[in-house]
Amino acid sequence: MNLDARRNVILVFIFLVIGIYLFKLFYMQVIDETWALRAQEIAEKRKEIFPPRGVIFDRNGKKIVTNQTYYNLMMVEDSIQNLDTAAFAKLIGWSTEEVRNRFKEIVEGEGTYFNKISGKRTPNYQTIRAYPFLKELTLEEMSKIAPHLANFKGFYEVATSARNYPYKSAANILGYLSEVYREEIEKDRFYKPGNTIGRSGIERFYEKELRGVKGIKYIVTSALNNAIESYADGKYDTIARQAPPLKMGMDVELQTYGEQLMQKKKGCIVAIDPATGEILSMVSAPSYDPNLLVGKRNISANYPKLARDPNLPLFPRPLQAEYPPGSIFKLVQSLIAMQEGVITANTGFPCDKSLVGCHNHPSARNIAEAIQYSCNPYYYMAVRRIIQQGVKKNNFADAAYGLGKWYKYIRSFGLGGIFDTDVTGQRPGLIPSPAFYDKWYGHHTWAFSTIRSISIGQGEVKLTPLQMANIVAIIANKGWYYTPHFVRSIGKDGALPQFEKKRWTMINYRHFDPVIEGMRRVVNEEGGTGQMARLSDITVCGKTGTVQNPHGEDHSVFFAFAPMNKPKIAIAVFVENAGWGGTWAAPIASLIIEKYLKGKVSDLDKEKRILEAQIAYQTNN
Amino acid sequence: MRKQESLTEYLDWPLFGALIAMILMGLATVYSVAFNEAVPSIFNFSEKYGRQLFWILFSLFLGLLVFLIDSDIYRKFAIPIYLATLVLLVVVLFMPAVHGAHAWLGVGSFGVQPAEFAKISTSLLLAKYISGLTVKQQTTGTVLTASSILLIPMVLILLQPDAGTFVVFTSFLFVMYREGLTFDPILLKFVNAIPGVRYKETWVGSHFIPILFGLVFLSIITLLLDSVVLNLNLFGFALELSGSTGVIFGLLLIYLISWLVMQRFSTRRERTRMMVVLTLGLLISSAISLGVDKGFGMLRAHQKDRIELFLGLREDPNGDDYNRNRAMAAVGSGGLLGKGYREASVSSVRSNHVPESETDFIFCPYAEEWGFVGVLVLFALYLFMLFRIIVIAERQRAAFNRIYAYCVAMILFYHFAINIGMNIGFAPVIGIPLPFFSYGGSSMMSFSVMLFILLKLDAQRKDVLR
Repeated sequence: MNLDARRNVILVFIFLVIGIYLFKLFYMQVIDETWALRAQEIAEKRKEIFPPRGVIFDRNGKKIVTNQTYYNLMMVEDSIQNLDTAAFAKLIGWSTEEVRNRFKEIVEGEGTYFNKISGKRTPNYQTIRAYPFLKELTLEEMSKIAPHLANFKGFYEVATSARNYPYKSAANILGYLSEVYREEIEKDRFYKPGNTIGRSGIERFYEKELRGVKGIKYIVTSALNNAIESYADGKYDTIARQAPPLKMGMDVELQTYGEQLMQKKKGCIVAIDPATGEILSMVSAPSYDPNLLVGKRNISANYPKLARDPNLPLFPRPLQAEYPPGSIFKLVQSLIAMQEGVITANTGFPCDKSLVGCHNHPSARNIAEAIQYSCNPYYYMAVRRIIQQGVKKNNFADAAYGLGKWYKYIRSFGLGGIFDTDVTGQRPGLIPSPAFYDKWYGHHTWAFSTIRSISIGQGEVKLTPLQMANIVAIIANKGWYYTPHFVRSIGKDGALPQFEKKRWTMINYRHFDPVIEGMRRVVNEEGGTGQMARLSDITVCGKTGTVQNPHGEDHSVFFAFAPMNKPKIAIAVFVENAGWGGTWAAPIASLIIEKYLKGKVSDLDKEKRILEAQIAYQTNN
Repeated sequence: MRKQESLTEYLDWPLFGALIAMILMGLATVYSVAFNEAVPSIFNFSEKYGRQLFWILFSLFLGLLVFLIDSDIYRKFAIPIYLATLVLLVVVLFMPAVHGAHAWLGVGSFGVQPAEFAKISTSLLLAKYISGLTVKQQTTGTVLTASSILLIPMVLILLQPDAGTFVVFTSFLFVMYREGLTFDPILLKFVNAIPGVRYKETWVGSHFIPILFGLVFLSIITLLLDSVVLNLNLFGFALELSGSTGVIFGLLLIYLISWLVMQRFSTRRERTRMMVVLTLGLLISSAISLGVDKGFGMLRAHQKDRIELFLGLREDPNGDDYNRNRAMAAVGSGGLLGKGYREASVSSVRSNHVPESETDFIFCPYAEEWGFVGVLVLFALYLFMLFRIIVIAERQRAAFNRIYAYCVAMILFYHFAINIGMNIGFAPVIGIPLPFFSYGGSSMMSFSVMLFILLKLDAQRKDVLR
């Protein structure tokens, strides 16, 4: 047997191995990029530093949204050595059973993935990674734990920042933050899993302005992800910058006061500064403490409760409750009728109850009296003149023509659509156009008699409280408005450009005087429906309304502006199921006006009566 | 003095040169990977490169001593040396465990691993024993003796446990194959026990070792399929098999097909003979496949993990496959030309991404710094070394020298293949050093002594008359 041939077997074996190795190495090092990328991932780590969100001030410079530092207690399983579970449980005030369950919960919470190679579900949890063991601890809670952490290897604290609302009000305006969804991360690479994002209100609308500039730190890390040194001496690092503060037009004291007045009631208050369009206050009652929705722990505990509350605290009434405006609409009808020249300030109509029902009052001899008495037949007559102008021979065509004109006027008040503004979640309400009725009834099948209920703000017409408050602001300004908005300035920049554009209605300023006079009488003359809004040294101009509610007691409505000569506040108040407008809505409006203009209220009995009242509010939950 | 001069004259300079080059490259890599700015001097023993330099110098000194001793003693004292090593291997089992293995003998940081030296003594004894045999003399006794020389230290090493060195010992099988050691005597006893069968030699017996490696391959396949459930649908019979049953099923299929082929093409006389071979092959393969399946269940957890990861049964870049994944990232990021000397950002000791990057994973920083071109240089150097040793082996007059040289070649090759295989995902992480490269006194000393014994034997080859 020739054994020398066997040398070749060995040589072939060696060559084969070396050849395969070189091929693999060539592939790994020169052709395949994945290992180089993996190396980069391992060695040069981008650490993103998220700045605390921008703070928010109110119109008087009061800090209404701040950041509070919270602490997470992190744990890395591989670093845990001889954990004395009993002592650890005692430290955090848990039972040993709870501590053990928490470990299980963390592992289970990470979920599993399907391992194609083994064909088994494999947990995502990794023993070398850090996971929060306890989340969102306050400084107080953490200060009790932190000094003893040295005894528990593998546990350490990490500070995080979360929102804090010192005034505990304006939850519906400010909104809340919650964890980003996967789709949001895919859309905007700014976010990383576990980050928070503005979910509603100001936090959502100004998300980009508030989140600030993320810092990026390139570090070389060790195998256990501890930073060893900054990469290239920090040459490529950028610094995280907190966003500049937002300044709101809101008066936080007024907002808080409004929420107090509306306690145990349902409804809303919208107050606007007519000179600027800034929303001074926007109460949606019942209100809740915005701090209830800070952090995952709070949200998961409180959100379901709020959502289940039969009083619907999460329903943004000022923006989404679409009511038929009722008597308040008569002010707008007066203005359009005068502008169209179908009546003058001194036109009078008899209170003919055969046309439409009314309450007992003398016939109105002019616009001011019509407003003062809120005379339904008067507006039936006046609006019929707007709609049926006799321009077209065909009665139906004439109505379509008239309503077309009317519709344009109404639109110039900013009604029938949503405002282009930072108020999120607006509903448009409904202003019927000729096209609307054509679709509903059919072309040339309707006339004023068909649609007459819109003349007194009933029927198809629906407005949101925000739109109604803006009508008051327009009347106070005698013909123009700025888009109602929340934020006055972003850092050193001003507000958004669309807030600085003066918007004119199609009504001449002259026509406002009789309307304002009527509103003055509503509050300040004997026989006026809004006398409960009267203030001793401020001339309040107002108008009551009663919104018919087919499901129960009517809603009480009042809107007003003050002072008469130099209006500083325009306000709309809705109290659900409170009956006639003068009883509840008017005194609330006057308290808000007085509080805003003078900083305090004089009539404490009035205030006490409001604070104690509970109207259609369910407490047993 | 005249004799001394003649010794240096007969020193195989190419191999010696390759050795020195390798040692220097290794030292440079250790210096780079463990570099400490505070202690830049290579002569400072507080740092690893300083200590490595010391080990190199000490190893060369040992080499010089080896060179001064007459090579005849290795053959003469092969048995005492071997027995002494066995004693050490037993003693070491009673030493306190370091990293879960009873491998170190000695005090504090100065320790030696008897397993390293067991490679040399086993080589010597194997060379001595086999060189005294001829093919015709082989009996059951000789086969068993040769196997025992191998198996006794292997068992002791497995008890430590030191899977790496255990695997390296299988390199001796190639040497035995090269020297024509046949397992026929044992095999024939079984085969000839079958009535009517009478063989003088079998193909299986003389090629036992390549067949053995084939079976190892089979075992790996078994393990790969171990956790898989095979769904077979044969002629309407749905069959669900566990992985190992599936392998046996496959073997049975091969057997049947071979049998059919044989019926068709072979003569009656060949048929009986081949039937025996086939049936034996089937039985042994099945037994091994089952044994692997059962044996795997009995392994220690961390060994099981390593085997599973090696076979790619699990992918877990930050878990247990962590070392290898990071090692591969380091190697792969080297590119064609490398990142440059002392620029190994992934595998430097200080960044600590690749554990053991100065010892078992030293190939990582080297490949990261020098890229594929550097890898080619290293491979060329190793290949040159191996071929030079085989050339030396083949020019020996004495069988003892030749066998010993083959032992050295195969041990070096094994270390090389497994160590680098570890870095590129071709071998399990079983912790064996890269010869002359890795940091560590024990391996540096044992490999140097091993190689210098070869150089000495070669230098004195002409003294041997046989």
